[in-house]
Amino acid sequence: MSEPILKVEGLQAKYGDFLAVESATLDVPAGKIVSVIGANGARKSTLMETIAGIHKPSAGKVTFKGEDITGMPAEKLVLRGLSLVPQGSRCFVRMSVEDNLIMGSYPKHARARVKESLDFVYQLFPVLKEKRHQPTSSLSGGQRQMVAIGRALMAWPDLILFDEISLGLAPAIIKDIYARIREINAGGTTVVLVEQDTNRAIRTAEYTHVMLKGRVVLSGRSKELGEEEIKKAYFGL
Amino acid sequence: MTVVIQMLINGILLGSVYALLGVGMSMIFGIVRLTNLAHGEFIIIGAYGSTLLSLALGVDPILTLVITVPVMFIAGVLIQTVLINRVMLQGSEPALLVTFGLSIILKDALLLLFTADARHANVPYSTATIRLPAGLHIAVLDLVVFAISLATILILTLFLRYTYMGRAIRATSDDTAAASLMGVSVRRTYGIAMGIAMATAAVAGLGVGMRWTFYPSSGGDYLLIAFGVVVIGGMGSIPGTLVAGLIFGLAQVIGGANYGMLISYLLLILMLAVRPQGLFSK
Amino acid sequence: MKIPVLLDRKKTKAASSGGQVRVLDGVPMLAACVAIAAALYIFGLTGVLSSNIQRYLLKIFLYCTLSSMWNLMSGYTGMTSLGQQTYIGLAGYSLTVMTATYAMSYWVGFLVGAVISTIVSLILAIILFRMRGMYFAVATWVVAEALRTFFTSWKFVKKGAGMTVAARPYPSTSTIYIIALTLCIIALAVVYFLLKSRVGLGLTAMRDDPDAASSVGVDIFKSKLLVYVVSAIFTALAGGIFYLNKGSIYPAGGFGISWTVSMVFIVIIGGIGTMGGPVLGSILYVIFEEQLAKLPGGWTNIVLGLIAILVILFLPDGILGTLQKKLRFEILSQKRFSGE
Repeated sequence: MSEPILKVEGLQAKYGDFLAVESATLDVPAGKIVSVIGANGARKSTLMETIAGIHKPSAGKVTFKGEDITGMPAEKLVLRGLSLVPQGSRCFVRMSVEDNLIMGSYPKHARARVKESLDFVYQLFPVLKEKRHQPTSSLSGGQRQMVAIGRALMAWPDLILFDEISLGLAPAIIKDIYARIREINAGGTTVVLVEQDTNRAIRTAEYTHVMLKGRVVLSGRSKELGEEEIKKAYFGL
Repeated sequence: MTVVIQMLINGILLGSVYALLGVGMSMIFGIVRLTNLAHGEFIIIGAYGSTLLSLALGVDPILTLVITVPVMFIAGVLIQTVLINRVMLQGSEPALLVTFGLSIILKDALLLLFTADARHANVPYSTATIRLPAGLHIAVLDLVVFAISLATILILTLFLRYTYMGRAIRATSDDTAAASLMGVSVRRTYGIAMGIAMATAAVAGLGVGMRWTFYPSSGGDYLLIAFGVVVIGGMGSIPGTLVAGLIFGLAQVIGGANYGMLISYLLLILMLAVRPQGLFSK
Repeated sequence: MKIPVLLDRKKTKAASSGGQVRVLDGVPMLAACVAIAAALYIFGLTGVLSSNIQRYLLKIFLYCTLSSMWNLMSGYTGMTSLGQQTYIGLAGYSLTVMTATYAMSYWVGFLVGAVISTIVSLILAIILFRMRGMYFAVATWVVAEALRTFFTSWKFVKKGAGMTVAARPYPSTSTIYIIALTLCIIALAVVYFLLKSRVGLGLTAMRDDPDAASSVGVDIFKSKLLVYVVSAIFTALAGGIFYLNKGSIYPAGGFGISWTVSMVFIVIIGGIGTMGGPVLGSILYVIFEEQLAKLPGGWTNIVLGLIAILVILFLPDGILGTLQKKLRFEILSQKRFSGE
């Protein structure tokens, strides 16, 4: 196994006094698709937000491309090639589709390539090109997810974390978005899929981590993990 | 009929200045989510800056913008990053109270520095008027200030729409966390936004100094007009700001010297009661 | 799960100091309060105090009343008003008009001031309670400014020139001292018992967590209205007494923003959301004001403003609030669940 692009060791995150993530340890090998699954309330989102620099961790260590990035704020991590597509897409609702995408190329290294990036995103999601002058508030849920994904791609990240990308979307749209994610991965970007919908995530990902109540309780190659084993870890039986 | 058209013209000319008074406050309100109670004093500082510089250098007050705008931009960035960003950690009320403290400090500092004397920025064309058909007329001074106001608002609009920093400011006002995921430093953006607000206050101050006499204590009046423009126009909305400025300008022209302010205040209270989120916000 | 605003990190930390809090309450504290009050009465009635000291003290009593009411609104119920001078101006003018225009006793002046303020506050509440946070704050200010503008052009009150109080016979400083002291004691007692009541509990809960408040089972609108009207009445009474002491009023003074400046300053340096904060703050404020008046012209507000900003930056809980947290005690705690 190659050196992991992202290494998380004993990461802990709190909301005030409330311990949200107790201790999370996981590796993400470079160039792969990795899934992090867990039931509602397993603190998957909190873990992702802590890795991506939106929350400060209270203990533990995060290493990205060999560099210690523990506690580094989100705006600096984007420059280093780590992007998060947050839960619920979080588009800038008062801005047009294209302005949302251009915001994605805000980091200095991405600005020179903005035209090329836009073409790439529009080719990946042709519907966005049609609607590029509309405000994102007028889009459907699936289209907003596409904007959020495209916006993250505009920064040419090495690693993208997708937080519950399929939440609330119709199966056909999920299927389409997953196909695009595989394309993105085929282009060399490492992908982390955080999902409640376990089957599709496990099928797509080479490696799977299962979270339960703020801890990573099971890790391994998706193919080698037994269904029974995953179920036990998922529900804490 | 002529009287009505003349009032409309005067209202529009006045409204543009009011919009300029409000535009910086509106930005801070919409982006930093802060009511800057020192905005009136910022405007008066701009007025003193332009008036005194033009006297000292013997140039047209408009040219002094070359100095006042950048100086006040930097001052705004410093005030935000050194002072206000720090107290915003404690919530929005302490930040409001800090701007309140700033406002009383600045007001009395102006009084100490420049005494209570009335001031005015003099221009050679201060009494010139353009005669229009049907007995209508426009003061050249008012027209110049109108042009300056609209130009400033136009430049601001273009900046917000087409530059990376402008987009970052809009994105931050929509969703701070999502903006930081794009690589935007929220604190730095707040600093730039306050810098821009203060730069618009510098231009607004020039307009105030050219059209009216002002005192160190005039800030409060302009703050309330600015706030009124923000409330009626909706926070962060530039078209809204323009319309709100116009509404206030007309109210002022119709009410005249005695009742203009009173009508404006009543209008504002009514607006707040009926549509507390502004006419133009969604 | 929502991502909280980036800048809010510190707030949650400050709220969780935890540990045992000693509450200075009950019989010993009550005895101390009664003793202090009794002493102040005796000093006033026996004429031990010079009239200069009496003037200082009566100013402290009035500022203490005003700022305790502001603190009740802002510190406990989250209604930050910048317009309490509305009621000071109305009361000051009621007193002046009643005594000067209608040659009535100043007690009638106080009564009229309180009644008008009650009516105005009830009407304003309907409008103001639709707004939140900053909108509320600035709207209250706009109301005061509108009144100032109106009084400046109202012939009946002699426009901007102002009027002179004409109470006959004019009360002595000692009399005004006793009135102010009585008002201050009643005001503090009202604040204390209001906060101890179910109403206060519900309001504090609402300030800290709007969702939890509904579960307490208190009608929030009625509670806020009660607090707002009570504040208006006491602010009006304090304003009336102030202008009885001062002897004259004009619109820019009565409805001036400097009243709010004083109240905000007092509550911030004393400690917002503490019972004793306004008391300590008022004492400090009057001392500062007297000392700063000796400086060569115009520095008062600059120094007061700087002190306020420094306190917000470095002692966000004010002097008393910081002491309470450091030493883990509370004077007359209003929080029934302070152990949680």
